[in-house]
Amino acid sequence: MAPLKNLFDWLDDRTGFRAGRHHLLDEPIPPGTGWWFTTGSILLFLLGVQLITGIVLTMYYVPSTEHAYDSVRFIMDRVAFGHVLRGLHFFGASFIVIAAVVHMLRVVVTGSYKKPREVTWLTGVVLLLVILGFALTGYLLPWDQKAYWATTVTINIARTGPMGEYVAGLMRGGSALGALTLLRWYTAHVFLLPACLIGFVVAHLYLMRRHGISGPIEPKKGRATAFYPYHAIKDTIVVAAVFALLLTFAIHYRAPLDAVADPSDASYVPRPEWYFLSLFEMLKFFPGKLEPIGTQIVPALVVGLLLLLPFLDRKRDRHPLKRPIVMAGFILVLGGITGLTYRGLHDIPAKTAPTWGLLPTAGAQFTQDEKCTSCHHVGGAANPIAELRLTHGPEWLVSHVRDPEVIAPGLRTPPSGGMNDSQAKAIASYMKKIQAGVKPPAVSTDVQQVAEIFGRNCATCHMIDGEGGSAAPDLSHEGTKHDAMWLKDWITDPETVDPGANMPPFGERLSDEQLTTIAGYLSNRK
Amino acid sequence: MHSSTEQPDRRRFFSGVIAAIQAAIGGSLGVILGGAIISPGLGRRQQNWLPAASLSDLPQNEPTPVTLRVTREDGYSQTVDRRTVFLVRTDDTQVTAIDSTCTHLGCRVSWDPQAQLLKCPCHGGEYDRTGKVVAGPPPAPLARMSTRIDGGQVLVQV
Repeated sequence: MAPLKNLFDWLDDRTGFRAGRHHLLDEPIPPGTGWWFTTGSILLFLLGVQLITGIVLTMYYVPSTEHAYDSVRFIMDRVAFGHVLRGLHFFGASFIVIAAVVHMLRVVVTGSYKKPREVTWLTGVVLLLVILGFALTGYLLPWDQKAYWATTVTINIARTGPMGEYVAGLMRGGSALGALTLLRWYTAHVFLLPACLIGFVVAHLYLMRRHGISGPIEPKKGRATAFYPYHAIKDTIVVAAVFALLLTFAIHYRAPLDAVADPSDASYVPRPEWYFLSLFEMLKFFPGKLEPIGTQIVPALVVGLLLLLPFLDRKRDRHPLKRPIVMAGFILVLGGITGLTYRGLHDIPAKTAPTWGLLPTAGAQFTQDEKCTSCHHVGGAANPIAELRLTHGPEWLVSHVRDPEVIAPGLRTPPSGGMNDSQAKAIASYMKKIQAGVKPPAVSTDVQQVAEIFGRNCATCHMIDGEGGSAAPDLSHEGTKHDAMWLKDWITDPETVDPGANMPPFGERLSDEQLTTIAGYLSNRK
Repeated sequence: MHSSTEQPDRRRFFSGVIAAIQAAIGGSLGVILGGAIISPGLGRRQQNWLPAASLSDLPQNEPTPVTLRVTREDGYSQTVDRRTVFLVRTDDTQVTAIDSTCTHLGCRVSWDPQAQLLKCPCHGGEYDRTGKVVAGPPPAPLARMSTRIDGGQVLVQV
């Protein structure tokens, strides 16, 4: 080991690293400093985990609206430990918010923000805001439905404030949420905020060392002990427990990834992540013109009070019971946030069980057609449809189904023609359902037959259960208006029923049996 | 402050526990992050049999260039490579497939019917119809690919 010792001696001679290490590790810890003083170390560790997992994620992530979703899906499904990696980063964000609040709570309860640690406290408040900034900007990056719609809400909230349109424009980067928005949120998430974070963490730690750990509220008698190993052992044990919990989450639960962002899908109900739920929920108490109170004034007041805390509470007394106003105020704010979050968690709009209507049922049948399976099969020019991920918008899919060669000219022998618009819509609907993880139910032959007729002939113009075209009347409750006989006559040749009808006749396209089937089905839809 | 010499055993024990826990955390993170970084580089390229030509269209003993369209996984997307191979029909049941990539620096070789050689335009590498080096700097013969004949179709494994 002599050569190694010589190397370290040489290095120490040039850098003085041993003295630096002693300075770091031998920090005097006041007697009686307990487990509550490990919260800062937890936070520091979690931030480190976010940093390194974030670096590895950026090796695969692509910040473009075309590829972001695919790249995240690739991380989850194809990269070794990819879902654990993203899980650590995703759940780590929630852990950090909790750890930051607990750390702040400890500092407030023990009065550690008081003179001479006012600036340490200020850097801590800025760090909390930076952490929330990370949470906000990171949310958009997967470019899934949740990302898109939650960010739409965030930007709309920004519009309610003073100079709102300018702020929203700055956040969007363009006239609408899109490629430029994603890029600037990504830049903020991986360059600007980490730079701020590292700067303020260094400042926070420097100030912590400069003034020392505040220690117990009532100073205990005895001598100070060295940080290493007598307090470091507590830090390490607690950090290990938190890491074990985080790793369990990351392994056991897959970090969520919705369907790819679809700006045309206005039916999506966006919900923020739990740590922003209180803000989201508060808006319900300030409707209309009062909205800026909830979106700007209350949050600004809370942040302002946090920043001013050490200057408002300047008495030397650290005991919480001797600082009733501060403690009451803090409990009020924290209680308010907790209450609103609880309310938000229980105020989730009833999730209707995803239904598998006529259109996706028809789409499932159409995908079995040779026009699809000639390319989409195992070992074929494209992957089997059931294994595909819908990563393009509905327009792309419809144009691909209508004319497959348009999408990939010259790369393969195109199947004999495409499908009609109605069938394309049916396949798009089917893809969306399997993308959302809804398994196709077993359906009777009758339903299959109706689905096939509707999917092939009607869905271009008509809608059933919210799916299909909107150029003609919705047929979801057609049975309340007409009986089967009338419907059959109408579908066969509308002009015999109403000379002014503008629906084309289907008498020649459908067999008598098919006409009876579809008319019977529609007449039963009450 | 307690000095380390006061409780050497306790200090040593705590230091050991800290080191063990940190090693466990570091090891777990190392496996996850290291695996994520390294894994795509270790993935094996999927091999497929692609139809290249009709056996009857190939002249005897003359390298015929054929461009194959090879779809391969490229990270989160798919890329289509156009790869040129020379098919040499040696008899009625045998076809050899020779990759057109020069083994010197990766330029594309082409068949010179006058000289009856496969020639590289970059640094003058020359190969015979079996892919063997006959002149120039190439360090190895042209790569060969497996072939099989199925119903008159020549299939090449890429």
